[in-house]
Amino acid sequence: MPESLLIAVAAATNLLGLCWLALAMEVHWEQVRGATQLSLGSARLLRSLGVLALVLSLALCLAVDHGSMASLVWFMTLAAAALLITFTLSWRPRLLAPLVAWVPSTHATP
Amino acid sequence: MFQNFRLSMAWLHTWFGLVLGFVLMVVFFFGALSVFDREIDRWAIPESRFAPQPMPSFDQMLLPVFQDIKPLPESIEQAKSRVNGPMADTFTPRRYGAYTTHRDPVLSVFVGFDLPNAKDPEDGVFGVRTIDPRTGRALSDDHLKIGSQFFYPLHYSLNWHWLNLGTWIVGFAALIMLVALVSGVVMHRKIFRELFTFRPKKHTQRSALDLHNLTGVVALPFHFIFAFSGLVIFGGTYFPITHTQLEPLHELHEKHEAEETGLPHDRAGVPGTLASVDAMVAEAQRRWAAKGMAGEVGFLAVQHVGDANAYVSVYRAGTDRVTLTGEGIHFKGATGQVLREDPPFTAVASINNFLTGLHLQHFRHWTLRWLYFMGGLAGCVCIATGFIFFVEKRKRQHAKQGASGARWVDAFAVSTVTGMLIAALSMLIANRLLPIDLPRRGDWEQYIFWGAWLLAFAHGIWRTAPVAQARMAPAWAEQCWAVAGLAVAAVLLNGVTTGDHLLRTVSSGYWPIAGADLVMLAATALAVMAARRLRQRAQGHALPRGTGASGTTGAVRA
Repeated sequence: MPESLLIAVAAATNLLGLCWLALAMEVHWEQVRGATQLSLGSARLLRSLGVLALVLSLALCLAVDHGSMASLVWFMTLAAAALLITFTLSWRPRLLAPLVAWVPSTHATP
Repeated sequence: MFQNFRLSMAWLHTWFGLVLGFVLMVVFFFGALSVFDREIDRWAIPESRFAPQPMPSFDQMLLPVFQDIKPLPESIEQAKSRVNGPMADTFTPRRYGAYTTHRDPVLSVFVGFDLPNAKDPEDGVFGVRTIDPRTGRALSDDHLKIGSQFFYPLHYSLNWHWLNLGTWIVGFAALIMLVALVSGVVMHRKIFRELFTFRPKKHTQRSALDLHNLTGVVALPFHFIFAFSGLVIFGGTYFPITHTQLEPLHELHEKHEAEETGLPHDRAGVPGTLASVDAMVAEAQRRWAAKGMAGEVGFLAVQHVGDANAYVSVYRAGTDRVTLTGEGIHFKGATGQVLREDPPFTAVASINNFLTGLHLQHFRHWTLRWLYFMGGLAGCVCIATGFIFFVEKRKRQHAKQGASGARWVDAFAVSTVTGMLIAALSMLIANRLLPIDLPRRGDWEQYIFWGAWLLAFAHGIWRTAPVAQARMAPAWAEQCWAVAGLAVAAVLLNGVTTGDHLLRTVSSGYWPIAGADLVMLAATALAVMAARRLRQRAQGHALPRGTGASGTTGAVRA
């Protein structure tokens, strides 16, 4: 049982990491937070956190399975996460807002 | 010929992608279904709906079964042209084999027989049987394992076996797939910037292209590695040099290998006995455990049956690694003494086994299995949106010119995308409705599959006529409704005819059947959504078809 739990955590971490990476992009940030701007520093922070989460996710996958299998699981989870995030951004972008609730946004300068 | 590299790549991608796309659609969809081939087998053969079983006792159960098996009449029929003089009446067994996986309740057993007076002394005939490993009872050969014997071979051979033509076409399509992926990346201007982009509210052409790029890019390495490893697996078919130009070398190599491994290449011609195979299996399992690779037996074979040179090979079911690693251990049949343990693979063989294992997925990992399923369906969406983009981009211009190209592509697209779902679902319905003791029942199921597809194709040609006037084809929505209806019917019929309705299978946790039913219900939901959006779009031209298109192709999830 703990193994499937670890896989679930790995998938969640993967999703979170990719989400941060997506939201560090201006166009997606605006989809989630409206007409506000993301400061350069925050964007950099989101990107670093995103990469960190993806690395953590890979580590979790490696803890469960043999290396060859773990890398496949990690990679395919990444693809699934990308699809999920894209469709959320297309249809229900605000659902992702809580993931970046702590990031301050500045109003677009004229 | 072209102004720049990008334009030449676009031409390549468009035209090769279009022509081979129809083949690739079939390959991707039935490949995705093959991920769950054994589960579809359970669905199609209700008497096999029990838990997966380990390899049963050879001495107690399998030996009498093997001794009882006769060559298949088809196998003898096909061998008629390969013998000098008349066909023999009796055949001597020379090889026994039993194969199972961690997902198989039933066991497939195989016997190879000598072919007396054969033109090629190595030639033979064979017999197969599927048994219930708990009792040894045979299952009817008239019941087709729809997953592993129809959908799976459809994936790699289109079930067109004449001259291996199907396998060659699929191989060529896989090669073009690699070309399409590379040229697609070259054409794509904003691969990272638009990675998470799908704009369903834009016009159809735009949203179809978004979806095409998305499903192509996020699973790009998956698509690439699967197309490539598929080619590697069939390398022996595409480059059959070991049995053509290099045949003598191949034979010599086999003899050398036999000397090196100590496993006799030929029969001694002296009758021999067979010691307890169960004891050999126990010894093999002890040795695997000592290597830290404890596991179940996946493949068990006896070579040179009844001869003094008989030997027994025991292979491990590769469940915890991606790579195909049988860790074979070979025993002398007469004494049970270990003749050889397979050494670690060479680097080249390891890569080959890894790619093969990655593609054939004998491993036990349900998460990865579902992710593969998703990857395959993403490929289907990618191809289907490619067709839609092609049609949308050209249909107005074609209508103005009075050309019918876009209409024909749309007709082929609808019959390949939704028509294929209709065919597969019709087959499952036929499986539940045909009388249980109908002779050659499996053949009837196949006729119904092809017949339903043909009807869907006819409907596709008929109902895409408006595309020639740059309007929408009603065929898509109509076939979506057909998919929805057929999927619900299949689920209901399964419940009625076997009593394994969803309430029971979900509550008892019998996921092979529950999963198949749930996927069909999900397909229904997607097909209904797609059909409704298509209708909205047809009524008010303001609403783009792109949203519908996404649902349509999403409905591939049958």
